[in-house]
Amino acid sequence: MDQVKVGVFLSDCGKQLSEILDFNALTNYVKKVSGVVLVGRSSEFWRGKGLQFIVDAIKDGKINIVVVAESLPKLSEVNIVQAVENAGLNPYLVEVIDLKDHCAWPHRKTPSEATEKAKAMLLAAIERAKLLEPLEKLEFPVLKSVLVIGGGIAGMQAAVDLTDLGFEVHLVEKAPFLGGLAAQAGRFFPTDDCAICIQSPVSDVKTITHTSRKCVYRSGFSEISNLNILTNSRIVSMEGVPGNYKVTIEKKPRYVSDLKCVACDLCTAVCPVEAPDEYNAKLKTRKAIYMNVPNVHPPVYVIDESVCKFHDCAKCVEVCPTKAIELDQKSERITLNVGSIIVATGFQEFDSSVIKEYHYGDYPNVITNLELARMIDGFGPTGGVIARPSDRKPAKKIVMIQCVGSRDRRYNPYCSSICCMISLKHALSIKSAYPDTDITICYIDIRTTGRQHEDYYERAREMGIKFVKGRPTEISRDPETGRLIVDVEDALLRRFLELEADLVVLAPAMVPSEGTKELVQIGLEPLLDEDGFFKEYNAKLRPTETRLRGIYICGGATFPKDAPTTSLHAHSAAIKAAKFLTAGKIVKDQRTAVINEEYCGDCQFCPVICPYGAISLEPTSEEHFVARVSDLLCEGCGVCVGTCPLNAIELRHSRPNQMLAQMKALMSVNGTSKPLVLAICCSECGHTAVDSSGMAMMQYPANVRVMKVPCTGILQVHQFLEAFKAGAQGVMVVGCKSDGCHYEVGSQKAEKKVELARMLLKEYGIEPDRLEMFNMVFIEGNKFAEAAQTTTEKLEKLGSLQLMGGS
Amino acid sequence: MEHGKTISLAFSDVVKSRLGGETLTLCYQCGTCASSCPVAKITPRFNPREVIKLSLLGEKDEVISGDAIWLCCSCFNCQERCPQKVEIADVIYALRNIALKKGYIPNIYSEFASALLNDGRIVKVSKFVENKRPTLGLPPLQPTGVDVLRKILSATGFDKLQQKKEETS
Repeated sequence: MDQVKVGVFLSDCGKQLSEILDFNALTNYVKKVSGVVLVGRSSEFWRGKGLQFIVDAIKDGKINIVVVAESLPKLSEVNIVQAVENAGLNPYLVEVIDLKDHCAWPHRKTPSEATEKAKAMLLAAIERAKLLEPLEKLEFPVLKSVLVIGGGIAGMQAAVDLTDLGFEVHLVEKAPFLGGLAAQAGRFFPTDDCAICIQSPVSDVKTITHTSRKCVYRSGFSEISNLNILTNSRIVSMEGVPGNYKVTIEKKPRYVSDLKCVACDLCTAVCPVEAPDEYNAKLKTRKAIYMNVPNVHPPVYVIDESVCKFHDCAKCVEVCPTKAIELDQKSERITLNVGSIIVATGFQEFDSSVIKEYHYGDYPNVITNLELARMIDGFGPTGGVIARPSDRKPAKKIVMIQCVGSRDRRYNPYCSSICCMISLKHALSIKSAYPDTDITICYIDIRTTGRQHEDYYERAREMGIKFVKGRPTEISRDPETGRLIVDVEDALLRRFLELEADLVVLAPAMVPSEGTKELVQIGLEPLLDEDGFFKEYNAKLRPTETRLRGIYICGGATFPKDAPTTSLHAHSAAIKAAKFLTAGKIVKDQRTAVINEEYCGDCQFCPVICPYGAISLEPTSEEHFVARVSDLLCEGCGVCVGTCPLNAIELRHSRPNQMLAQMKALMSVNGTSKPLVLAICCSECGHTAVDSSGMAMMQYPANVRVMKVPCTGILQVHQFLEAFKAGAQGVMVVGCKSDGCHYEVGSQKAEKKVELARMLLKEYGIEPDRLEMFNMVFIEGNKFAEAAQTTTEKLEKLGSLQLMGGS
Repeated sequence: MEHGKTISLAFSDVVKSRLGGETLTLCYQCGTCASSCPVAKITPRFNPREVIKLSLLGEKDEVISGDAIWLCCSCFNCQERCPQKVEIADVIYALRNIALKKGYIPNIYSEFASALLNDGRIVKVSKFVENKRPTLGLPPLQPTGVDVLRKILSATGFDKLQQKKEETS
């Protein structure tokens, strides 16, 4: 590299800072630092004349490293870096610090101490900047196609959105027909209309307004030219990287040609095989060749290969007028290359039979909400009649039981959130059709939190539906009459009730679907939460993103949801995927981890710890391998650096020598009688808490010096010791909340390392209290100021640190 | 709960800190315990849900001086079926221990305890029973080894609790 020529630019923010800090002293101090060739001073350097001054200095070849002290660096840095790049210098050779919120304002009552701290801050920035390396920007291609897994309402809505935007979409559904759980649900709340309709695609030109809803079978959904619908198909494997995934799909044979079938129904009339109808919750049977209901998509029959006698029977082949039945179809493997994946695998009902005292699966008249939904549906197994499965007689007394397996720490601790509304909807719909039906709902708490949801509860009371506050302990059956008896305490009456019933309807918990569980096998397990649902990257800001760039989630796959929320979620996932795909490329910089292969030695810690799956192991010989970092997947947190036992990993721009130079500089000037404290803050929440304390002019002593790291997870135990060696009397580690780390695990890892380092300090005869971890967010500036104050007081009590070797 | 009575919310913390009482605050009053309880079905004097609720509200006096907590028959039906994994029967044991420390214990339990300390049996064996045994072909009752038992009871502090009770009553 050329000779180091550092330009330092001091902004006094319109003299706000020069009233507190002695800018002449700062200028004189900086001028003497080796490598500094130019010192500028202005009221601002992030725009206008000030910024032009920096640009000119670069263009004239006066400087090749830029250090700026400017307020609000998180904003101003963007402008400065862009200008530096435009001026022809590598934009990564810039260091911006904040003398206002990190120095002048929080120490305004002790101006001379503040000036000394400012010197240390400037020196740290210059020393770090001198060690920075120029970095290149990397580009990775992104295919403009999407795979949507799951053909329920979430998957279909997301697919329509993306095809409307012009992307090529592959929609994979493992069942032979689209619709998912929604297709079985009949009606939805709060609209009380049919479940199985979607917003029509823009290609449907006959629709008067594009916002109108349409049944799937007449929506034009199947005719969207850039939509490839694969039913009866499942994902077998997935490999590749964001922007370029290779997905293998197994498409099972339908045995009926979708090009020839005219859905005339002659085949089902002659088929001699009866099988339980799963779509109708096994409340009736269907033939081996079947269609769920007449209005499904695709409108093509399918043969159930587990029961069909194929060539031994072949009656359907004989009768089919269009020769559509092809008994020799084989399953096929399809390979798709897609840029992005949307997971919309939905949820399903919890298996209530594990709660033995409710006898589901044992007593035929104990059914679930989904089974009841099929009965209520006019297309259903009973044609809309509410009947006892045992003898098909109408059910006159119905008891509904809420929270079956939900809010139950033995099975699913969460509230499934939609079951109260489902039961209320069912109760209202039965009571409207058959007003003499006696319905009692046993509940723990009724939860109707959405718009218009409370109306259902109100109407239910109005119509005479009874509510018992209590969770039944048991359902028993009268051995003579066969009637069911529900044993429950009404907690409000403090009375024990034995409710007789023709039919007991359980409201089971909603749990992750089989489809979700299958995706575990293709490597998506790290994205699941403790309940088995897909976990969003950030519940507030990124509800449909995952921590794997390019993979999005929506609908019930993330948690049980009602239809409006599922829709909303699907649109969100679609727009996130579209944002990712539109540019056709991913642009990243190289502030990523880099492996020193000479030191790397077979331990496998880093690939396991990396939250982004960015590290893989590559064999170097028969028994040895070496870690490799993908610059595309690496998010630059440095958690691997902090974990590597051999110091074989470094993070570009946060290398140990760069951090050490910074530490030493921060501790080189004291200017106060107080013990020096190094506060190592993560660049996310920790550092912004320091910003906010300064912005609010909260006062803390100037002996506390702030050093920024990408994530506290990067820290290694020996770095704490180095800080003490560099002159710190105490070290504060300030990270995000342990369950809110921007890099998932960094803050937790840092906590563990601080714990370990404290044990080591004790061994070395150093008070462990000199090192402490803090967790805070931006709005907790007061917490930082307090922590800085109490740490200083604590260290004053402890007295000065005695290290072996003198310093 | 009567109006104006002092409610001490810390009582739930006291119960939680006792062995067996840890799960108290998980309760959301669904009543599965009550409908599972064979005692509650035959007497209004005991309802496990209510005992838990009163403890949560800090109605200390009502809980520990009343007889409800002593009516639990420890069948553990409630505990088996509680969806929140509240260890109801164990919570009741914790409450009984707190009650005993305050000197509340029904006489019958107190008599059991004295009998245990004195004879090594919770029920005193009457002359009638002793005479009856041989006629039924049963061997005479063996001595209980009460000395060893007393050592154990003394090591656990049981004897002191019992003494305290006798002093206060």
